[in-house]
Amino acid sequence: MSVPVAKEEMEQHLPLEFADEKESIKITGFWMFLVTDVMIFGSLFSSYAVYRTSVAQGPSAYQLFSFGPVILETVLLLTSSFTIGLSIYSMRRQNKQATIAWLIVTLLLGAGFVISEVHDFVGYVAAGATWHQSAFLSAFFILVGTHGAHVTFGILWATTLLIQLIRRGFTPVTTRKLFTFSLYWHFLDIVWIFIFTFVYLNGKIV
Amino acid sequence: MAEKLQFQSEATARAHEGEDEGLPSLLPRFGEEKFPWIQVWGYIGSLVLTFAALILVIDHVLPPVALLSVILTLAVGQAALQIGVFMHVRESRGLAWQMVFLGLVLLMAAGMVGMSIWIMLFKSGVS
Repeated sequence: MSVPVAKEEMEQHLPLEFADEKESIKITGFWMFLVTDVMIFGSLFSSYAVYRTSVAQGPSAYQLFSFGPVILETVLLLTSSFTIGLSIYSMRRQNKQATIAWLIVTLLLGAGFVISEVHDFVGYVAAGATWHQSAFLSAFFILVGTHGAHVTFGILWATTLLIQLIRRGFTPVTTRKLFTFSLYWHFLDIVWIFIFTFVYLNGKIV
Repeated sequence: MAEKLQFQSEATARAHEGEDEGLPSLLPRFGEEKFPWIQVWGYIGSLVLTFAALILVIDHVLPPVALLSVILTLAVGQAALQIGVFMHVRESRGLAWQMVFLGLVLLMAAGMVGMSIWIMLFKSGVS
């Protein structure tokens, strides 16, 4: 039969992160993790959807949000999603320097995103819009804060991957780790697009 | 006894083979290119979708409910673009089972989000 031969041939052409059976199953496992994370963000989005008009004595979404920093954060995160894509592309072509360089660019863009978001939050709190103020603000800070915490964790994770890549080079383990990190990073980008649309843009629709 | 066991394992193997052949939509596919055109187009596409939503909200030509539906549709398109272009969703060692997980979670998340919003707003106009 021709099927086993074709399979063997396919395995020889597999990228390094899929080459080892035990490492490649962890990529499938990581997809399962992302699927559960969708449920976490889904529940936070539904509570925000319910409470977004419950502003009590505090500011409304329309009064609180401004487009400038949010557009900056969106462009930073979209660009970092592109650069980690280029890092994986370079990894597939066995170009270690380009992989590391694009990973560093991704890290810096992610750090810029977190700094801008923290700056926003500090500004809101200074204006008296803390999460004690209203159900809207509680739901807002928990939803956007959970995403920000994910990005912060991603930066720490990618820093360890950077050290491993520099010290060990491309192995089935390091390539698998970088590939799962790229999945995580693109996933956070998708979540941010929904936050941008449903929280910030929707807040400006009267 | 041993023969029977061997026969059984052969049958299982054949069944698995048949299963693989019966699921052509889950067979893995890998992309190879000389220049990352797909990534570049994905990036441009994501920027276009984002700024289209932004301009629609700033210009505010549509009524609120229609506007929200349009920008949410743009966001779903953006998510599909990220999954298809950047997340290599069709790549796997064996069958690409993650596509099944993704389909299932779309169903579950849609149910959970929709039902939660419905039940939490239930009769909220009355009480």
